[in-house]
Amino acid sequence: MSNPVLDPAGLQIIWSRLISISEEMFTTVWRTAFSPVVAVVQDHGCEILDAEGNCLAHAPSSMPAFNLAMPVVTRAVLARHPATTIQPGDVFVTNDPWLSAGHLPDLCVVTPVFKADRVVAFCATIAHANDIGGTNDDRRPRTVYEEGLQIPILKLYDRGQRNDTLFAMIAANVRGPAEVIGDLEALVAANEVGARRIAALLDEYGLTDTAELSAAIQARTEQAVRHAIAAIPDGIYRASTQFDALTEPLTLAVTVTVCGSNLTVDYTGSADEITPGGINATLSYTRAQTFYTLMCALAPHLPHNEGSLRPFTIVAPEGSILNCRFPAPVNLRLRSGWHLNTILFAALAEVLPGRVMAGSGFLAAFQARGKRPCGSDFNVPFFAGGGQGASEGRDGRAGYIYPSTAAGMSVEVFESCTPLLIHSKAILPNSGGAGRWRGGPGQRVVVSLLPGWKAPVELLMTPDRMTCPAPGLAGGKPGAPVRVTVNGCTPAPDSTFYQAGYVTLATPDDILVWDLAGGGGWGDPAHRDLAASRHDREQGMIT
Amino acid sequence: MDNRQDSWRLGLDIGGTFTDLLLVRGTDGRMVLHKVLTTYPDPAAGALTGLCELLDLAGLPITALDEIVHSTTLATNAIIERRGPRTGLLITAGFRNLLDLGKEQRYDTYDLFLPYPEPLIPLALRREIDERTLADGTILRGVTPAQVVARVRELVEDGIAGLAIVFLHAYVNPANEEAAAATIAAHFPNLPLSLSSQVAPLMGEWKRASTTTADAYVRPLVDSYLAHLAAHLRQMGFAGRFSLLLSDGSAASPETVRRYPIRLLESGPAAGALAGAAVGRRLTAQPAFGFVGDDLLAFDMGGTTAKACLVEGSRPHVGQGFEAARASRFRRGSGLPIAVPSVDLIEIGAGGGSIAYRDELGLLQVGPQSAAADPGPACYGLGGDQPTVTDANLLLGYLNADYFLGGRLRLDRDAAERAVGRLAVALGLSPSVCAWGIHRVVNENMAAAARVHVIERGHDPRRFTLVASGGAGPAHVAGIARLLGAPRYVLPMGAGALACLGDLDAPYALTLERTHLARLDSLDWAAVQAVVADLIATARRHLLDAGIAPERIHLDLAADMRMVGQVHHIRIPVSREELQEGRSSALCARFHRYYTQLYARSNPAMPLELVGWRVTAQGLPPETPPPSIPSTDTPDPSPAQKAVRPLYLGEASGCAETPIYDRAALAAGMVLTGPAVVEEREATALLLPGDRGVVDCFGNIVVTVAAV
Repeated sequence: MSNPVLDPAGLQIIWSRLISISEEMFTTVWRTAFSPVVAVVQDHGCEILDAEGNCLAHAPSSMPAFNLAMPVVTRAVLARHPATTIQPGDVFVTNDPWLSAGHLPDLCVVTPVFKADRVVAFCATIAHANDIGGTNDDRRPRTVYEEGLQIPILKLYDRGQRNDTLFAMIAANVRGPAEVIGDLEALVAANEVGARRIAALLDEYGLTDTAELSAAIQARTEQAVRHAIAAIPDGIYRASTQFDALTEPLTLAVTVTVCGSNLTVDYTGSADEITPGGINATLSYTRAQTFYTLMCALAPHLPHNEGSLRPFTIVAPEGSILNCRFPAPVNLRLRSGWHLNTILFAALAEVLPGRVMAGSGFLAAFQARGKRPCGSDFNVPFFAGGGQGASEGRDGRAGYIYPSTAAGMSVEVFESCTPLLIHSKAILPNSGGAGRWRGGPGQRVVVSLLPGWKAPVELLMTPDRMTCPAPGLAGGKPGAPVRVTVNGCTPAPDSTFYQAGYVTLATPDDILVWDLAGGGGWGDPAHRDLAASRHDREQGMIT
Repeated sequence: MDNRQDSWRLGLDIGGTFTDLLLVRGTDGRMVLHKVLTTYPDPAAGALTGLCELLDLAGLPITALDEIVHSTTLATNAIIERRGPRTGLLITAGFRNLLDLGKEQRYDTYDLFLPYPEPLIPLALRREIDERTLADGTILRGVTPAQVVARVRELVEDGIAGLAIVFLHAYVNPANEEAAAATIAAHFPNLPLSLSSQVAPLMGEWKRASTTTADAYVRPLVDSYLAHLAAHLRQMGFAGRFSLLLSDGSAASPETVRRYPIRLLESGPAAGALAGAAVGRRLTAQPAFGFVGDDLLAFDMGGTTAKACLVEGSRPHVGQGFEAARASRFRRGSGLPIAVPSVDLIEIGAGGGSIAYRDELGLLQVGPQSAAADPGPACYGLGGDQPTVTDANLLLGYLNADYFLGGRLRLDRDAAERAVGRLAVALGLSPSVCAWGIHRVVNENMAAAARVHVIERGHDPRRFTLVASGGAGPAHVAGIARLLGAPRYVLPMGAGALACLGDLDAPYALTLERTHLARLDSLDWAAVQAVVADLIATARRHLLDAGIAPERIHLDLAADMRMVGQVHHIRIPVSREELQEGRSSALCARFHRYYTQLYARSNPAMPLELVGWRVTAQGLPPETPPPSIPSTDTPDPSPAQKAVRPLYLGEASGCAETPIYDRAALAAGMVLTGPAVVEEREATALLLPGDRGVVDCFGNIVVTVAAV
């Protein structure tokens, strides 16, 4: 066979095979997982990397923030354990937020792939553990130590031998250890499935390693991404935004510099890291969110890998909220990191209209926690989507979970594992930001205890977009903010809602009304098409 | 010819483009095939005309027909093309937007602007009802008849032709839905109703609502279509049994279909999958092939899409649902979920008309865009100038420019050369390497999709025999078999119209499931035996009612199992003896074996849990018909050779003069050695170098892939 790697047909074939292997890994994780957050919500990601830890392919449904973290972890594994010292059957684990996905629950497992006694590739998987110990009160930690168990890079398996000491250590430090340990084993299985398939693929094509393949994949992708960047006029594009933070709004600022086929993102001007409360992003997480946002706008249909990243320089001042220093608390890092898409899209709105969108209403969530009459605990998440930001030529959708690929929670599933009643879950009229193109509306969710239920239930929620709504673009109006009321009243500043991040439903008469944020509009509302407004009225989007 | 003593059966498959009809005589397996264009807006008209023509062709009166089995894409096309009438929805108060919000999941990570299907029922035709059932089945609020009547009256005045009722937790307790239905029936006796507790009684409001609204949406169309067809058949003098093929690959009476019309949705693809099973049964009947109900992959490739379906034993693999009317072609998550048992197949945009192009990475890509039939591939000479898979196959020598569709369409080689040549220049490849690349990339796309599909269901693709059908399937199956590592493939007789054969092979069947959560180590086997006995009794009664003789009823039993604490389960077959004797250890061992095959490793220390039981009862299909083509004692196929032409088979082999055989002239017992091409009217088959194909007594070519 002539070199199958470089020919445009051969490379296409072997590349799509790598993607399908990563997809099979992804399926193995959720099919064998123990916790709903992985098995149902699919809060995980899988990747194949070359022998140097460069990403070759990731599963199409991987959580976006995870894709960039896995190469960082794999390279850190290599720094500590040079390839020549790694043995078949070794499996590594860490949850270091400064390497991995930015907070402790995200466990990363890395497995080497061998061919002829040599490490030729790695399989990596990250999943969100249902619990990692530490406090449940995300508003108060002053350091990462309070947020749970820290696992440096350790061997989970050593030459095939299970590291029972480490498993016992993890089990002793988390709530619901059976789920956490079961999920960890699911990650190990997924990597093993991937490692077997990769070895077989290399055999089939007579390849001795992945080096040549990796170089070809990266070069092609880099070139395509550079092509997309070069289509943007050279220049400096700036944007900034205010976001809720925990007590008072803070600023995020970005300067995007396009020069030929290079693009630099600089977050100088953003707020300093802050305590208490883990809303700080590690640089690893900031880079992941930035890269993800840029790919959505520049090259949404490319299969991504290390090559896509090369044209970008991503800078955030050390000590800022987007590049926090150890041991800053980080558990709620999405409270800062999720706003990066808002400012990056705003900065690029002028040059990439129709490919970016106004601010979105995000994924909104609470965690219902309490005791059943039999004494057992329950701890169940509820997910729903806010409104999508509008874009040039497009209204935003309702129920748009972004920047995440999670699914919403079924009301029937939720009610069958909690003593709660969802009275309604409906599109909230007039909540989408006005504009020539309208932002997606938010939703209103009304919740109470079941009639006759005696024990109180805590709803852990630290909603975003309460003070600072999703901004519009190009003259569009912001979406409606999040509103939380219990029995018609907004929680007082000294309530548990603001102090500790939860509301309590004490009796079945307590009613929580939770309004999810609408997306921002695009363009001057005065230019909205009359037929579109009529349609909005018919669809209950506006009254 | 006097055929009045004979028993004939008719398979009738109405697809989007063609309607296929196949007559089979019970006594000797004689087949008569006819293919006509599907007619719009009334597909029954063309089918009935085709039936008259076919009967003329065979010299038969319609009274010679004992049975008609019918498959159709009518229901699914009605959803895709939105040809259903105005349909209303009653839903629990507070949830009118359920159809707009759906699962709230983005099905692509990077694409911000994903399309989703419009709901089948617009907001203006939805009404909320103040009622509520709790998760445990308790009725918190019953329905108020006056409110139900008032809301339905509004909808009726708005012109609805059908109504879906979806109340929360109705899968646990259907009382509120049933109360509303009774009230409506009393006041609006002619309004057809679809209740979520009957159509799809399962937890998860979005899937259940989506399925129930689709059921209500297609009901009026299916009703009138079936009434119309039955009336015409009666008028023509047909007095036999009329059955329809359901999405799960079983046959059912029109009464069953009219009760749950949504079950007709995947009828067409089910016929294609069953056809693979039918070919497998014919092979099993010939001991010389050593083929004993082996697992098959039914592989169908037409003009725009390719489908693959697992056939285990003699049954196509049946899944718990599928997506209809995908807004983004072939992409999981972009369609309307339909939660009824359906043949579990994958479909990708890979067909003869799939367009090849250079992508933004500078690589060769094929599909999913298709030149379809109009303008069609460049070589059709109908104005298409994009290079397609068919153009590549023509340039590679696989297709005969003068014998495409039996010579009805002359292919333009120059046009194909121009189209592929332009792409070759853009990619920096020679024209033949480019054409070869197109052929290989489309094979790889199909193989990759099939591999993930097979593995996700816990099977090893290297064990499978591929059965090729569709116009393009036989030209690609040899390459795909190699990519999957499959040892064999079959080139069936009449591959271009195989679905009818599937219709005629469909068993009457019923699958019943019951949730029964219990740990294996403390299982109350007596309780399990009672649950399963109840399922078996119900399923048997259903088949006996359908006229199946008791000795022809076959039962399969399976348990859904998982490790305690897991969320998803895997399905394990269980024998009746194991059930009677309560052999927990056998189930435990089988679980870990299956689990390890699927997911590389298992943990025998974990306690196991049973989630539920499933019983499938099926009437055995009719006896396999006897041989139908002449046989020969000499394996030499040269009497059937009609020509020699050069074929391009890769950089290594280059161009080689290759024998071309006439399918109709092949006799049972002939042996073909690849490379070889076999031409018949609707399809051209390719054997790659070293492949060895034996012609069986039904005219199928059973090919062993060359050892690598």
